[in-house]
Amino acid sequence: MKKQLVHIKGTKEGLVLRLDDQCAYAELVEQLKRKVSEGGIDGKVDVQLHLGKRYLSTAQQDELITIVQGPGNMHVSKVHSDVITIQEKMEIEQASQCETYIGIVRSGQILNAIGDIVVIGDVNPNGKIEAGGSIYVLGNLRGIAHAGLKGDKEAIIVASHFEPTHVLIDDKIEIMSNEKPFVKENAEQIFAYLNKDGHISYERLQEVRNIRPLLSTVKGGS
Amino acid sequence: MGEAIVITSGKGGVGKTTTTANLGTALALQGKKVCLIDTDIGLRNLDLVLGLDNRIIYDLVDVVEGRCKIHQALVKDKRVDEKLFLLPAAQTTDKNAVTPEQMKSLVDELKREYDYVLIDCPAGIEQGYKNAVAGADRAIVVTTPEISAVRDADRIIGLLEQEEIEPPKLIINRIRRDLMKNGDTLDINEITAHLSIDLLGIIIDSEDVISSSNRGEPIVMDPNNKASLGYRNIARRILGESVPLMALEDHTKGMFKKLISIFSK
Repeated sequence: MKKQLVHIKGTKEGLVLRLDDQCAYAELVEQLKRKVSEGGIDGKVDVQLHLGKRYLSTAQQDELITIVQGPGNMHVSKVHSDVITIQEKMEIEQASQCETYIGIVRSGQILNAIGDIVVIGDVNPNGKIEAGGSIYVLGNLRGIAHAGLKGDKEAIIVASHFEPTHVLIDDKIEIMSNEKPFVKENAEQIFAYLNKDGHISYERLQEVRNIRPLLSTVKGGS
Repeated sequence: MGEAIVITSGKGGVGKTTTTANLGTALALQGKKVCLIDTDIGLRNLDLVLGLDNRIIYDLVDVVEGRCKIHQALVKDKRVDEKLFLLPAAQTTDKNAVTPEQMKSLVDELKREYDYVLIDCPAGIEQGYKNAVAGADRAIVVTTPEISAVRDADRIIGLLEQEEIEPPKLIINRIRRDLMKNGDTLDINEITAHLSIDLLGIIIDSEDVISSSNRGEPIVMDPNNKASLGYRNIARRILGESVPLMALEDHTKGMFKKLISIFSK
């Protein structure tokens, strides 16, 4: 008797296909095809693929998904694997890191960060900061700040002296003008964030913990 | 072994060439052997400000391309005996006639013979700027109290900080005392805080600078002029002396007012 390479389990969220992670990929594809064509399922079901400790490229994942969705009554909602590549891990790590830049971002210079960035120094007019996460400037922010470059809507922009020409969060842009008296009057103690309606808003620094409680990585303060 | 200093600004018309001519002359008057290089190829005018235009035979491009020896191209300023020389730019070609590597070896060669090599940089941040900065050990950024000049100075300082040279020093040129006092132009403190580099000196605006430039005679030759004093002070600071910053107040006010201002401090 040949070893079972595909195990089907029913859960609350639908079916789970647990695929063997020790056999050859070709063998697995073979058996998965057979298993799927057996039928015996009524109506539409959500299916999760559990790969175990097998690493699959996106092309291979797509192949498995087309096989499973082939008969038409199964829909793959999730592909789960216990392993990721070192590169993927590095990207995740960099995105969650906070970089520090000490110096002045001058006119015409662009400072890039994958995750959060702390700038100890000024950002002069025409200087630009681009960050995947939040931007914290310990100095005068007089240039352009773009937080949440790749779609992080939770990102905020903080500066000791908040006087930028342009504020960008995710894909929203705001040109600072004299028509924003709140920013002008409170330049020393405010930050920019995306509010619930998706617009850029400004609030006193003391409100960060209410508006973005998840930014805090430390609990308490005894 | 001498020192090569590039004088740059980013923006045009703030007084790089005038500053180069005057600092060079001031250093020569202090007994240093100085060579000025005009790197504004195609738009040369340092020779005019020094009044040496009719004595040019060879130029920078001739030297670089090997048509003459360096000392053949150098023009001597007779007013400051055997101390001040000019290597003029070519007028017939453009900035691409010289590469940064060629400039560096040229400046290195001149540094062996001269105490100071002052390089007059063209406006802009293109090839001409890259050539001018290539051989320099230090940089002086010239600006005026106008936002446009300060913005360009900021940009050029950013570029200079990426070069392997000492942090650049700042000269604020053409200060109009009346306008600065009324807050119509940027304040010295505002400019230095914005650019956050060391201030080397200030030059108070004077109409005599223009007229003396037109005569081909650097203003530092006139010991009584305010602007001249500014340039002399900067030259002394370059030589390592510590000279206090010039006061902005007008010295023509009366004795009584002077007394009041002393007691009101």
